[in-house]
Amino acid sequence: MPTLTFPLSRIEGHAQVVIEVQGGKVVSARFQAMEFRGFRYFVQGIPAEQMPVIVPRICGVCSTAHHVAAVKALEDVFEVTPPPLALKIRELLLLGQIVQNQATSLFIFTMPDRLGLASIFALADEDVGEEGALLATRVLRVRKAGTDLITTAGGQFIHPVKAVVGGVTGGVSSEQAAAMRDEIEAALPIACELFDYYWEQSLALRERIGTWGDDAPACYIAAVADTRPNYTGGDIRVMDAGGVVRDVFPARDFRGFLDHEETDYSYAGRTSYRGEVLRANSLARINMAQRMGTPRADEYLMRFREAFGWPAHALLLYDLARGVELVYALERALEILEDPLDGEDTDVGYTPRDGEAYGLVEAPRGPLIHHYVIEGGLIADVEFIIPTVHNVRAIERALRVAAERYVTAERVDMELERAVGRVVRAFDPCIACATH
Amino acid sequence: MNKFAVLQLSGCAGCEVSLLNADAWVDRYKLVYMPLVISAYDVPQVDTLLVSGGVRNDEDLYNLRRAVRRTKHVVAVGTCAISGGVASLGDRDAVRQLFLAEEGRRHVPRLLPRCHPVDAFVEVDRYLPGCPPTPELFMAVLFDSSDFKPSRIVCQECGREKLKDMRPDHLLGFQQGRVLPGICLINQGYLCIGSSTRGGCRAPCPRAGHPCVGCRGPSDALIEKDSAAWMESIGRVFATLTDVPVEEVEAGLRSPQLALFLFQFSDYADGSGIGREGRPPRPKEKML
Repeated sequence: MPTLTFPLSRIEGHAQVVIEVQGGKVVSARFQAMEFRGFRYFVQGIPAEQMPVIVPRICGVCSTAHHVAAVKALEDVFEVTPPPLALKIRELLLLGQIVQNQATSLFIFTMPDRLGLASIFALADEDVGEEGALLATRVLRVRKAGTDLITTAGGQFIHPVKAVVGGVTGGVSSEQAAAMRDEIEAALPIACELFDYYWEQSLALRERIGTWGDDAPACYIAAVADTRPNYTGGDIRVMDAGGVVRDVFPARDFRGFLDHEETDYSYAGRTSYRGEVLRANSLARINMAQRMGTPRADEYLMRFREAFGWPAHALLLYDLARGVELVYALERALEILEDPLDGEDTDVGYTPRDGEAYGLVEAPRGPLIHHYVIEGGLIADVEFIIPTVHNVRAIERALRVAAERYVTAERVDMELERAVGRVVRAFDPCIACATH
Repeated sequence: MNKFAVLQLSGCAGCEVSLLNADAWVDRYKLVYMPLVISAYDVPQVDTLLVSGGVRNDEDLYNLRRAVRRTKHVVAVGTCAISGGVASLGDRDAVRQLFLAEEGRRHVPRLLPRCHPVDAFVEVDRYLPGCPPTPELFMAVLFDSSDFKPSRIVCQECGREKLKDMRPDHLLGFQQGRVLPGICLINQGYLCIGSSTRGGCRAPCPRAGHPCVGCRGPSDALIEKDSAAWMESIGRVFATLTDVPVEEVEAGLRSPQLALFLFQFSDYADGSGIGREGRPPRPKEKML
């Protein structure tokens, strides 16, 4: 049986796609995660209170989400509620992550697919005009606003340290806040221009390939409310393809709704929702949002709805949804930075306890749950419920749709190679997280 | 223009993300291979190869051996590449058995028995420690680093004042909460090891109120010595600044959160390190 293997790039981590073909028919399409470090094993036996510093190392892209999820899990079992100021600083931290991630995914990972390039850093060799020549510098500038937000709110720039059980280690001084506001005010118009350009180039791509990608119905999962998305995690919601919210549940009840299976061809498993294909990440959140709650992001959301309807299912719309969130996160961070963040009331005391701990945040890729079993103050067992894993079945289904489009009895159209890249990148999978 | 490549082995991509935060290389150095941001499936001939992540599986090893043949200089970047990093926590009897459960898979790279540093297999010309190294450190390793003047230890970059008359008699553990600004974390009872950790990061963690966990590894004064020398050095700092019993400090230093980075102290020095049995200490001249 002919087997087509596509190594993947411009995603986080090591993965490949394998498509098996027989007699012109697509037999299977697999998404294989190719690395494994074993966090769920090697954190066993370590003191639970050390998790917030260790788990960011699961992933340097999603480190902030893991940091906050770990702190929230411990707060869950210790029954401690952090003061409002601490929650605000944590929200800022997670907004920084959204800015950094969505800017990276849009402008570094998927922009080259729109422009027919190998990378935005290869521009020196290409004739891309003045717009293109400045691209890399402007992209890195928007991205840096996200990184600097993480540093401001989280202390360290990749693996944050400031969130602690009961709160945060300290506030944000008015000087730091003012400098951060200046940087975001400068980055916001650049982000909007880049997104407008991205939107145009996406329309051109749609013209060229004749599709927005797989738009088969799916259920959507997210842990943000329907306006003014707060990525610090409330309840998990599942919405069906028709836009009806089917279930709302807290993190600790996830097993009643989500089934996880391991596969023998990948170090990441895959999740189903009541047996159905599930989709997480930007499009899930945008489909669930009534409004974003900030002016420019709401304009983009309205434009998105007018162009693509509601709920939107086509695959490449994931990327445009990321742009709406990028603008929102910058605007929302500006709002928070207007408030005084240098107060004294940044944490409350707590008493460590044993038990089952659940911590939830809405990571850039969807709801992230940390589940710890704590015995004698040590981690006895642990589960990391990773949003990329929720998307694996949806990725494989979309790969199959793409393969069926480009494989015939006579030939394989090598547009398939580009289609595979577009499909996978639309979901922005994170392999370091998915395998941990 | 000089060309460089970034080979990511098993790791978290934090080093790559940090490199992307250092945007000044864009105009001065040509990045030709880095799968995170470039679709290029093979490492071309380059001047400098940055390697991040540890060697955890057979594919990591294959890619590493292949890539080093095509470069003039090899730089090991980040804690994982230099000493196996966080994944080395899996190299404990108590959890090693659990990994065997992962052997029931096909078509994926086979795990090696443990996570190895890069120089267990290939010659390394320069080491850039940190979890991850800061953008400034990346710039210093890519370009002429003669005008980059790191401090000897993190302590000198932290800016917190050491007080003679604020002597805790016990460690605070994790009851962290609000940290007094401007005052040394050790004076406040935190187990901060910035006094023996290599400088150059500008101390973001202790500045933000979190004790240094030693991700940059040992300072030049300790790099060729074993872990006992390092323990003594920390002990002396605590004896000077606090009344915390030495046993308490030692017990704290052996906790996993610190072990995450601290087992690398012995790893740097001599043949006790994982996968480096019988090799000489890493010379401080090669460290940035």
